[in-house]
Amino acid sequence: MKNQLKNPKTLLLLLLTALMFVTPLFTDSRSVLMLFAQIYLFAIFALSYDLLMGYTGIISFGHAMFFGIGAYSAGILLRIGDGAWTHFLLAIVVALLLSMVVSFIVGLISLRLSHTFYAMITLAFAELFFILAEKWRSLTKGTDGFTFPVPSFFHDRLNFYYTCLILLIFIFLVLSRFVNSPVGRILQAIRENEQRTESLGYKVIHYKVLATVYGGMIASVAGILYAISLRFVNTAVFGVDKTLDALLMTIIGGTGTLYGAVLGSFVIEFAHKWLSELADVHWIFERWMILFGLVYILIVLFFPKGILGAFRRRKHS
Amino acid sequence: MSWDQLISLIINGLATGMLIFLLAAGLTLIFGLMDVLNFAHGAFFAWGAYTGAWIYAGTGSFIGGILGGILAGIIIGFIMEKLTIQPVYGNPVSQILITMGVMLVLSELIKVFFGPNPVATPVPALLDGSWAIGNIIIIKYRVFIILMGLVTLTGLSLLLNKSKIGLIIRAGVSNKEMVQALGINIKQVFAMVFMLGAGLAAFGGVLLGPYSGTIQPGIGFENQLLAFIVVVIGGLGSIGGSAMAGILVGLAGSFMAFYFPEGALAVNVLLMALVLLLKPKGLFNFRG
Repeated sequence: MKNQLKNPKTLLLLLLTALMFVTPLFTDSRSVLMLFAQIYLFAIFALSYDLLMGYTGIISFGHAMFFGIGAYSAGILLRIGDGAWTHFLLAIVVALLLSMVVSFIVGLISLRLSHTFYAMITLAFAELFFILAEKWRSLTKGTDGFTFPVPSFFHDRLNFYYTCLILLIFIFLVLSRFVNSPVGRILQAIRENEQRTESLGYKVIHYKVLATVYGGMIASVAGILYAISLRFVNTAVFGVDKTLDALLMTIIGGTGTLYGAVLGSFVIEFAHKWLSELADVHWIFERWMILFGLVYILIVLFFPKGILGAFRRRKHS
Repeated sequence: MSWDQLISLIINGLATGMLIFLLAAGLTLIFGLMDVLNFAHGAFFAWGAYTGAWIYAGTGSFIGGILGGILAGIIIGFIMEKLTIQPVYGNPVSQILITMGVMLVLSELIKVFFGPNPVATPVPALLDGSWAIGNIIIIKYRVFIILMGLVTLTGLSLLLNKSKIGLIIRAGVSNKEMVQALGINIKQVFAMVFMLGAGLAAFGGVLLGPYSGTIQPGIGFENQLLAFIVVVIGGLGSIGGSAMAGILVGLAGSFMAFYFPEGALAVNVLLMALVLLLKPKGLFNFRG
């Protein structure tokens, strides 16, 4: 432990974490706190995606389905329970169970397919959830969505800020232990060479299903936080763009690093906010999505390994 | 259900299916043959549809609209392949991201050039109206779509299976290095296939306009998933498979809309899930 404290990397991390804890002291602007809470919850979502893409080598286009399951569990149960604590806890249990079951079933039937087909079939499953949410209007109010009350604890934005931050740190620590555990090593082996791992005697499909189940459950936690941050939920939570956000965040930061997912969430959320605010400056920026699209293109062309990847490469050379 | 209804449903399903095939044919080349996950494919439909409608409204020539739309698709395909696809051949994750970026840019540019509001796309006078045979009403434009679909199917199959360039394309897909070693510029061949795919998609887009009556900037996104589903069901790289899958999806949609409208949206997705689970490589995969 003492040696670790001397490591500049650890020190930097501790410093950044401390900075995140004291941020609310410097600002009491609600919108800034909101932005940071959103960054943290999307970082959780991106972390779950990094476990799949970065550590196991599974590319899913349907990760939003777990995000949506979390969001709708929170929304529907809190609406029924009128924002009671008990219903909030119930929502967590329901979201975790549902995402566990769904990810298990989807994983078991589709992880046998090759990469491209797995990506397409997860896209299809997510689309099914999207359609379900749109058509089951009595429960979800369709595209219009619905607002719902949240437990009084979250009325204070500061409490919500710290909830997201602490959950992010907790999940980050658990995941960094997990990816270096024996099981985590096997997942990385699968990413590097699936056939060889299989021939070493590991049931690859079991480990892949395990990874998608963990990834799905963590993503549903992010979904719960997202719904609570907006106090509103609609079909957009199942949208492909949510999956693509997670993909982009993971890649921008650097895949298979965990830190990258958090960093990516900062970059993307800031970019979203900053670019959409430009619209007030000049009418030409009303089409700010063009700039966002250009960001996608430029990142792939110039930072294919992400920010952390580019940094590491420089250090090595 | 009476015979009249059954026949109407089948004709509608066939027309929708052929339209879907037209939208998916370009993707069969780009995604099915070349393995490029092109998430900007919908932008080709949209640009084709808008350019076609704009030229038709300006000149009154529907054929001019079709040709202009295809040309727009080919030009966009050319630029896009040069700038964004070439650096990411063989890298699916980068392809997804970069083509999503291109999709965002191209869809927003449509709003810049043609405005964000829906545009009316009338059926040309020659193809307007319908024939009545007994109690069955056949809409002319739908027959036209079916014919165009058959022409495209035949043309593409001939090009790929009988011509020299088709031989090179198929060889290039199965063994790129070998074809290169034989002194063929495979980069150029792939660029041409990409442009051809883009042009085909734009052609589908032009025809889509009068079929649905109006077009709006979101049509690219909306129909893109459908095209992907059809290509996957048909089996990657199989033109005939895509056509069959398009018809299957069209008929399923047409019957579902009649019996159980709530499920019409889900049927395509379920169909794809079912096919992939039973035949993981699609119904008509010849690529092995």
